Amino acid sequence: MTVSYENRLLFRHEGPLDMEVLPIIVRNLDKLLAEEGIRPPLRRKVVTSLIELAQNIIHYAVDNQDYPPLIALSRSDEGITLLTRNLVYYSQEIFLQSYLQNLMQMSRDELEALHHNTLTSGSYSDSGGASLGLIQVIFKADKFEYELSCADGEYAWFTVKATFFVKSHE
Amino acid sequence: MSDATIIDRLVIEPTFTTPEIIFDPNNRRFYIGGNSYPENSLKFYAPVLQWLDSFVHKHKPDKELLTLEVRLEYFNTSTAKVLLDLFRYFEALYEKGQPTQIKWMFLQEDTEMEDAGLDYQAAVKVPFELVPINEEA
Repeated sequence: MTVSYENRLLFRHEGPLDMEVLPIIVRNLDKLLAEEGIRPPLRRKVVTSLIELAQNIIHYAVDNQDYPPLIALSRSDEGITLLTRNLVYYSQEIFLQSYLQNLMQMSRDELEALHHNTLTSGSYSDSGGASLGLIQVIFKADKFEYELSCADGEYAWFTVKATFFVKSHE
Repeated sequence: MSDATIIDRLVIEPTFTTPEIIFDPNNRRFYIGGNSYPENSLKFYAPVLQWLDSFVHKHKPDKELLTLEVRLEYFNTSTAKVLLDLFRYFEALYEKGQPTQIKWMFLQEDTEMEDAGLDYQAAVKVPFELVPINEEA
């Protein structure tokens, strides 16, 4: 996967991310998408996916000022693409690789069943999460890609690219 | 007069990431509205669930319909899970014989919110009405 901005860039944030910054990003993205003529069902998919990915970053990413997280939103003929990138520990990389490979092998019906079971009978994480975030993003996005690449011996870059087709919502 | 009158109302003011919550038994107003993506949903909703637990135990059923109105904007997946726990208390009231309903309000064209409402409707055993709203307000 190549991280590029060949499409029209609507929004880019590279810097500290916390619960003070997130609502500002959410409001900006919601406004930008509305200005792009994106109607509520698709807007909700994009913005709630952003919230899930951003809160995963807030909860789990390595806090390193030299390598801050990135959030970008772009528009192409295909649709709206949300990209996030953050630093994770090597131990998280191993978990994410296995977890995401497993999720991406599932059919839509299997993902929906997993979402339903986790919602109705799953437990909460120590940070109050429901372990539903990535499941939901994969389920809602029309195209989901991720990449885990070496940053140095201790860290890895975790990049997520979720694309939401506009035509299927028109 | 219902014993519910002895329970103080619960009012939580909204923020950019947390909803307005009004649970006012005396005026029969039960409302959750706005954004809900707190950093820790379980922690944010803990006093709300605690209040409901107390209310369900103390409330003696009467004939007057008790309605919970839910009008959320953006909410995260952990809120989605807590909401189900919260709806279970209204289910418990209904099972105690209290006429109870949940109204899930959503913008008419927002099929994503409608689908979320349908999921809850299938998951809870309490009358659950999906209420489309015409205006983006």
